Parts: sequence; structure tokens; C-alpha cells
Amino acid sequence: MTKPRAIVLMILAPLALLYASLLIGRFAVSPGDVTRILMARVFPIAHDWSGPVETIVMQIRLPRAILALFVGAGLSISGAAYQGMFRNPLVSTDILGVTAASGFGAAVALLLSRNALQLQLFAFIFGLAGVALTYLIARVYRSTPVLMLVLSGVVVGAFFSALLSAAKYVADPESKLPAITYWLLGSLNAASVQSLASVLPPITAGSVGLLIMSWRLNVLSMGDEEARSLGLRTEWLKGGIIICTTLITAAAVSVCGIVGWVGLVIPHVGRMLVGPDHRRLLPAALSIGATYLLFIDDIARSATAGEIPLGILTAMIGAPFFAYLLRKTRGSWL
Amino acid sequence: MNWRKSLACALWLAGIVMLSAAAQAQRVITDAAGRRVTIPSIVTRVADPWPANNAMVLMLGGADKLVATSDQARRQPWLRKLYPRIALVPAAFDAAGEVNIETLIGARPDVVLMAYGGALPKWAEAVDSYHVPIILMPNSSLEGLKVTARITGEVLGASESRAAEEYIRYFDDNIHKVLRVTSKLPDSARPKVLHTASGGILTVDGRQSVIDDWINIAGGVNAADVAGLGRPVTMEQVAAWNPDVIIVGTAPNQQSRQAILADPRWRQIKAVRDGKVFVNPSGAYLWDRHSAEAALQVLWAAKLLHPSQFTDLDVNQETRLFYARFFHHQLTDSELTSIMNATAP
Repeated sequence: MTKPRAIVLMILAPLALLYASLLIGRFAVSPGDVTRILMARVFPIAHDWSGPVETIVMQIRLPRAILALFVGAGLSISGAAYQGMFRNPLVSTDILGVTAASGFGAAVALLLSRNALQLQLFAFIFGLAGVALTYLIARVYRSTPVLMLVLSGVVVGAFFSALLSAAKYVADPESKLPAITYWLLGSLNAASVQSLASVLPPITAGSVGLLIMSWRLNVLSMGDEEARSLGLRTEWLKGGIIICTTLITAAAVSVCGIVGWVGLVIPHVGRMLVGPDHRRLLPAALSIGATYLLFIDDIARSATAGEIPLGILTAMIGAPFFAYLLRKTRGSWL
Repeated sequence: MNWRKSLACALWLAGIVMLSAAAQAQRVITDAAGRRVTIPSIVTRVADPWPANNAMVLMLGGADKLVATSDQARRQPWLRKLYPRIALVPAAFDAAGEVNIETLIGARPDVVLMAYGGALPKWAEAVDSYHVPIILMPNSSLEGLKVTARITGEVLGASESRAAEEYIRYFDDNIHKVLRVTSKLPDSARPKVLHTASGGILTVDGRQSVIDDWINIAGGVNAADVAGLGRPVTMEQVAAWNPDVIIVGTAPNQQSRQAILADPRWRQIKAVRDGKVFVNPSGAYLWDRHSAEAALQVLWAAKLLHPSQFTDLDVNQETRLFYARFFHHQLTDSELTSIMNATAP
């Protein structure tokens, strides 16, 4: 694939799917109506569609599709950055315990019967706190060796997983327990204009931060010693990467629960397509992750009358696809 | 040994023999799983982890026989209000349905009462090995609720059994009272009812359930054409169903109702536009579930869906009479409001 064509494709694919997603759903809306509702935001067009149709498109489908794009993009770029920083292809976004901590925060909010926005806030703050704890435990003699980070991530993750289990244990099985369980399985059903307003800023800020650091990531992925000998302030860089990824992941988890697989596998798909250079890998991960999660969510929300949890679909569809790629390339990009 | 001592001794022995014979007398009950279960003829100690059925046992007058229950039952605010001792009954079962076998056996129950969900509870084998009989009862339809009342009464004893028959007659009367009107309704006059299940996450109660049963009896149609209770659905699916009435079930009902009213995504749903978003009452147990108060639920829902057809039905008055007659509790005005609004007493 020549370079300009690849760039155009990477930009167009998510946008095209975004438009297609607005046409898909359980509620019958004609494609013409969708287009005119969108155009009416810019051009003066007569409103000749019924009230519910506009709500469906503007309040339900559009926020949900945009959220899918951002969450997919954010989780993928975070995963790519972590795999580079930890120099390990098996690392994903929850390596430092952010997912377990956020999950516990959400469970607490559900136990206390908080509303959707408060739930988001709880999950976000607990996620940040979990990673902060990991970082403090890993800090020895003013440095944070990678191995220490991984180990303390495991510790903090295990601790919050236990707290989460405790929360499920005391939850009322009639109302609270199903809510916690479904939340943990992941869903974008909480997408609304308000939730976008609170989630997009941290995801955007974190992603921009990672893109800015993408060249330094290349150096860091050669190892701490080498990076230091090349004059890089590795502690600051690692701290920056952790802050960016944590902002992204905590925000994503807070609004849509635990969506596994994306942060682990999409970076590999990106590496197959554009190679290991983070200056190209990170933007590619953004685009592929966004497209992938939006595609999965379209299935989750329209395949059946019920909502299929995202966590089930991302792996059930993603795993065979990834196996196919593995066989086809024989792992040559690793 | 003189003759008086021997006589006393003989009488004492005879007494023991008779008592133990009475205690060993047994009877057989056929439960919901179709098993013929042998239980003592006189049951004085009952273990019941099923919260809805704890309220049933209380209503039938057998609550003092409860020797083991579940955490969830002990936490029901209105059950505690009506029967404070429930907080002192050992919780042999946790909220996740796991048994603490030592607590259970230590409570020396004559029998364990449990809901039948198509399979034996996972702790059945452990309990069996202590030769404590388990009686399973239906839990997924209003017809099944009557069977549950009958079996529970039978297990508890003669007076409880009479109370159960009285309750079943009252329940049937209410259903007939409602059906006399609603069975004549054409499909076009049956509003689509959406019953939401849990707070925080959007879940709804679908077909093949107690909730579907009372919606149909009350002259409505369940808007959610998914099977089972507490199914997660998308916002868009709710919009496609476009329910005429929304009933918010399970705590915190008031808060969930406010969340629906405040959310712009719900604004175009017919029930919200028409101001027909209601909170389901909740008492000794949730009225909408497999609870004794389902007898009131059919009246409440009928009046809610078809107020003009049930002008002579005073649900508040019926509720007062019901709790006075079956729970022997005179509701004050504020208590009545608390039940109708599903808030803690």
C-alpha cells in the first residue's frame, strides 16, 4: 500500500463507518431522514420527519457511535504505547490495575445507587487512584523500573479485584448484582450527549499526549539504559505515558465498563500493517481501534432485541480474526 | 427402689417414647420439582433463604418457626418493619445464594424451603447429606405463586395451611375482579407497558415471567419482547417499542424514575411525553415479583392502566385491608405512602 493512500484510508474508514452506523439500528429510520437530519444541523432544511426519529439519530445513535470511535481509538493507542514502554507484546491497558480499580469504583457507585454520571465519576477517580497507588509502590530510589511497575500493577489489580468481588458479594441479587455484572461485561448504552462531554476531553488529551511522545517511545522501547544514554529523561517520559494512558483508560472504562481485547490486539494489527515505528503505529492504532469498536458495537446494539455485552463480542469476533492474521503472517511482525 | 420411684420412672420413659413417636411421625409432600419429599408431621423449625417467601411465611403466620434465612431477606426494610425478629434469624445463606452449611445445620431446621428454577439448588447435595429435606416451590408465574402459598402453608402446619387457602381465595377473587373488565378489552385498548428492573443500568422485565402475567391480567401488553427478567436492552430498542406506560421496579425506584424523566434520550418515548412513568409499590417484598403482594399488584396495575374502567376500585383502601387482614398490621397514612412510593418505612 502506498503511503498517501494508506493515510487517506485510515482517515476515511472510521468516518464512513460512522455514517453507516447512523443508518443501522432496531428503530426503522430511512437513510434519507438520517441524511437530512444531519444536514439540517448545518443547512436550513424543513423538518419533515417525526420527533422520535431525530431523537434516535441525534441523541442515541450519534453519541453512541462517537463514543465507540473514541473508546476504541483510546484503548488501542494506550495499548500500543504500553506495549512499547514495557517492551512486551502481551501487555494491555489494564497492566497497572486501572481496570480493576475503575470496576470497583463503579461497583461502589452502583451499590450506593448513584446515577449514571456519578457512576462515571466514581469509576474514573478510582481508576486514577489505582494507578497512582501502583506508581507509588513501584517507585524505588527516584526511579520506577519496568519490572517493579508490572509487579505492583499485579498487586494493585489483585487487591481491587478482591474488593470488587466483595462488593458483588454484598450486592442485592435482585437489583444491584445484575447491574454490576452487566456493567463489568461492557456496554456503550450509557452514551449520551452529557457522557460524551465528560469522557471525550480526557481521551482526546491523553491521545494527543501519546502522539506527541511517539518518537520518544521509539527510543524508550530500546530500553531504559539506552534511552538514558541518548539523553532522554526516561522517568519523566514514563510518567507522562502512564498519565496519558491512565486518563484514556479510566475515562473509557468509566463510561462503558470493561472492554477487553481491544487494547491488547489492535496494536498488533497496527504493527502488521505499518510496522513497529510508533510515529506510524500510534495513529494507525487510533484509526483501527476506532473502526473496530464501532463495528462491534453496531452488532451489539442491533443484532438482537436485547443488548449483547461488548466484552463478549470483542473477543468472540476478534479472536478468530486475530488467529487468521497470525496464521497468515506467521507472526513475522513480532 | 420404692414403687413410687419406679412408677415415675416408667411414666417418664413412656412419655419419652410417645414424644419421640410423635416427632418421628412423618408425612409426604410433593414439591414443584415433582419430588415426593418426606418431612416431619409437625414442623417447628424452618429454613428459608428465599426473601419473597420469607414474607409469605410471615403472612401465613409461621414466621416464628424461621430458624435460618438469607442476608437479602434480613435486609428487606418493610419485612423488618413488619417482623423485627427477622434481623435476628441467622443468615445461613448469603446474597449470592451460597450456603454456610454449619450455620444451617446448627439451626436444626426440620425442612428447607426454596424456589425452584428448573434445577436443584447447588447446595442441595450438601444439605441432603444431613438428612434435612428440601421443598422446592415454583417462582416464575402467578399460578405458581398460588402453588407456593399452598405448599408453604402445608409445610408449616394446619393453621398456616388455612391461611394459605384464604389467601389463595382472595388472590383469585382479585384476579377475577380485574379480568371481568380487562378480558373484554380489544387489543387496541391494551397499553404497551415497559417494566424496568434495575437501577444504574438499563434492564427490563420480559415475557414468560410473573411480571408478564400481571401485565396481561391488568389489561396491558408487555412492551419488552425479550424472554426473562432483568434483560439488558439498548435505548434505541426502548424507543422502537415506544411503550405507553413505564413502571419502574426494584430499588431505588424513585431515583430511577427521576433519571428517566431527566434524560433527553427518553423524552420522545410516548410514556414520558404523556407523563406516564410510575414507581412500582414495594412492601414486605417487591409487589411486582413472586411476592404475596402480587394479589395487590394486579389491582394496582389494573387501576393504573385503565382508571376509567375501575372507578369503584380504591387501591389505597384495598392495600390497608390487605395488610390488616393478612399481615395483621394497620397501616398509618405515612406507611401507606411509603409502600406505594416504594421507599423504606
